[in-house]
Amino acid sequence: MSTAEEQPGPSKPSGSATDEKERDDRTFECNICLDTAKDAVVSMCGHLFCWPCLHKWLETRPTRQVCPVCKAAISKDKVIPLYGRGATKQEDPRNNVPPRPAGQRTEPETSTGFPGFGFGDGGFHMSFGIGAFPFGFFTSTFNFGETRPSPAPRGTPQFEEEQFLSKVFLWVALLFICWLVLA
Amino acid sequence: MAAMSPSKRRLQRELMSLVREPPPGVFVDGDEVGQNLTQWIVHMEGAKGTLYEGEQFQLQFKFSSKYPFDSPEVTFIGGNIPVHPHVYSNGHICLSILTDDWSPALSVQSVCLSIVSMLSSCKEKKRPPDNSFYVKTCNKNPKKTKWSYHDDSV
Repeated sequence: MSTAEEQPGPSKPSGSATDEKERDDRTFECNICLDTAKDAVVSMCGHLFCWPCLHKWLETRPTRQVCPVCKAAISKDKVIPLYGRGATKQEDPRNNVPPRPAGQRTEPETSTGFPGFGFGDGGFHMSFGIGAFPFGFFTSTFNFGETRPSPAPRGTPQFEEEQFLSKVFLWVALLFICWLVLA
Repeated sequence: MAAMSPSKRRLQRELMSLVREPPPGVFVDGDEVGQNLTQWIVHMEGAKGTLYEGEQFQLQFKFSSKYPFDSPEVTFIGGNIPVHPHVYSNGHICLSILTDDWSPALSVQSVCLSIVSMLSSCKEKKRPPDNSFYVKTCNKNPKKTKWSYHDDSV
């Protein structure tokens, strides 16, 4: 940045300052009223509108709500309000226009590995599963209460599968009980 | 300027940009239109290299107070109505963006461009097949006609 002719900034001014300003203004024009967007909202397809303008258009064709610019599907719930820094003025342009939809905030995801499986660091966290086990075992094994769906008829592939699965579960249960007794 | 209705305000803006940078072959007299913003006459010439080269046409735009949510009423007027399969001899135009497919993001400029392009892609100059019946029976306002749009080629 030692050369004096290089202008620091996002873009080099190509015309006069008024030209540049005009182009900036046009970038933020509402696609409906062609004014600078007031109470600005942006559609999922990226098109900018004043909320009162867009709302009026959605009301005009309630059964066929499409983006005026690209005809993508559009709805009140799928537009995002734009909050600029300077837009602090709280005047509602028309009383019959419902308030602009609020922005949706999603909390950022924390990246601390698996918070539910603390095998290494904080002891063993599976106690609730063991506590509930005997009751689940009795109800499912001795079949109290409601009847279960009838098993698949003998000889079908589903029957084979069910037999195999029940054997697997039986062995898993036995291993688990042994482990509980020995541990 | 501040007391202007939103539709007038938008028309004023459209007029300014159309006078300043008109699309090729389109001309609008700003002073003439400035008198009455709800009714415009747009002059149009057939594009070079098309069947309409060298021809001059006049398009009339009428805007309701609901513009731009409501489409403008657009017809050819004057002595030279283009002979085109989608233009009736009374000047009515069968073009979907003028009714069903209208969107408030369209403008006088984009409608003019669509019409120039519709004329330019024409292969054979002829009237619509139902021209004489339609012209006898239709309403004066083309927006009252129940158009069926079936031909995307021209």
